[in-house]
Amino acid sequence: MGDVSRLLVDYGPAFGQALLLTWKLTLLSFVPGFLLGIGVTVLRLLPLPPLRWVLTGYVEIFRNIPSVALLIFIVFALPDLQVVIDYEPSVILTLALVASAFTADYLRAGINTVPGGQIEAALSLGMRPLRVITAIVLPQALRAVVQPMTSLLIALMLSTSLASQVPFPGRELTALVSKIATDSAAGIPAFAVAAALYVATGLLIAWAGAALEKKARILR
Amino acid sequence: MSRSLENILFGAPSPRAQAVTRAMSALAAAALLALATGIVYRFHNAGQLDARFWNFFAWSTTWSFLGKGLLGTMASAAMAAVIALGLGLVLMLGRLAPLRLLRWPSVAAIEFLRGTPTLLLIYVCFLVLPQIGIKLSTYWMLTLPIALSTAAVVAEVYRAGVLAVPRGQTDAARSLGLREAQVFFSIVFPQALRYIVPALVAQLVIVVKDTTFGYVVTYGELMQNAKVLIANYHALVPVYLVVAVLYCAVNYAISKASQRLGGPMH
Repeated sequence: MGDVSRLLVDYGPAFGQALLLTWKLTLLSFVPGFLLGIGVTVLRLLPLPPLRWVLTGYVEIFRNIPSVALLIFIVFALPDLQVVIDYEPSVILTLALVASAFTADYLRAGINTVPGGQIEAALSLGMRPLRVITAIVLPQALRAVVQPMTSLLIALMLSTSLASQVPFPGRELTALVSKIATDSAAGIPAFAVAAALYVATGLLIAWAGAALEKKARILR
Repeated sequence: MSRSLENILFGAPSPRAQAVTRAMSALAAAALLALATGIVYRFHNAGQLDARFWNFFAWSTTWSFLGKGLLGTMASAAMAAVIALGLGLVLMLGRLAPLRLLRWPSVAAIEFLRGTPTLLLIYVCFLVLPQIGIKLSTYWMLTLPIALSTAAVVAEVYRAGVLAVPRGQTDAARSLGLREAQVFFSIVFPQALRYIVPALVAQLVIVVKDTTFGYVVTYGELMQNAKVLIANYHALVPVYLVVAVLYCAVNYAISKASQRLGGPMH
């Protein structure tokens, strides 16, 4: 315990900043990723075969590519194509792309829980297909995917650790631990503190997700 | 499940809607083609289509080196998966144990390993353990953390499977006079396994993805070998593209296999 308290005296504020950066990266990548995922899902429903093929390819690519490989490609290979993105936006872009692919995948499964009769009923009321999607299908699908989206958010939060792989000006938790472990012998307490912060954040998200799930769940 | 949702939504279009759909399809195809052309043009402009960036892919040494990397990835992923399957079982048994002395440490271990990034665990094995005198080989610096964090996830998957087995099975087995261990290992667990095989195989995708961190500890897996190739040929874009395609292909195959395994059961 003495190790941890000495560490917190030396690095307390740094851990606070690192935690905040981890949260910030999580949020900044989750929100656009989620919205993009909804967009991809809707576009994939349209009866336009070329669009469907390409978007299915998009989902499969970003679901299956390792995030680090994607990040390294964006940071180190894209400049050779004269596309230069700063480090922080690169991390956010990587995580958002991956999150959007998983969102599209989960949402598609959520859409399958909407009974076909509802859509037939809506169409027979004279609603246009796009209106049926936005007013009938999507709201119910979104309520059905609260639980997988919670898991995705936790996975995304843990994935922000890959920001430590690029020379980032700020340090998130994993980068901070690696710096402390390189500079001093306080590796184990630093790791313990970072792990505790990660686990606590994960439990917080899980708790919030469970509360939301309770409210949003549709009993069929 | 009878008709797919798209089918119901757009199943019986009027002639006018059909015409609109065709026009929109053509438009979408044209836009996507323009995008693809734009990307190729960008490659060309940046000189990335020059022969010197690609010709080494015609050499067998390049592919045998990448193949060696892929084998390294597989070796690490397979070992991590095997350890995770075994350790996950232990953790799950601990978590379901009636004894608090066993249950609480198991819950703590599962939450801890599941809740910390694999990369952080890799850094611990790479930077912290040597400080206290534990020196692992690069293979184990990569494989052990992946195995540990996967074991925690696998434990939860096992638990979900075990809880899904109807209670009557346990009761019936007990009333036949089987011992607790027999009830679990010959009645409950085999049935639980059948429920969760797709989820376990899907977990393998995450294991393969995690082995990408091999370059952190300079273990010779696909990503690390790609870096070596790049250092030799200064061809960042082509090598990373090829490696990304290889990763996607492997993981896509695993995902498809897990879907196939999930199919015939239900």
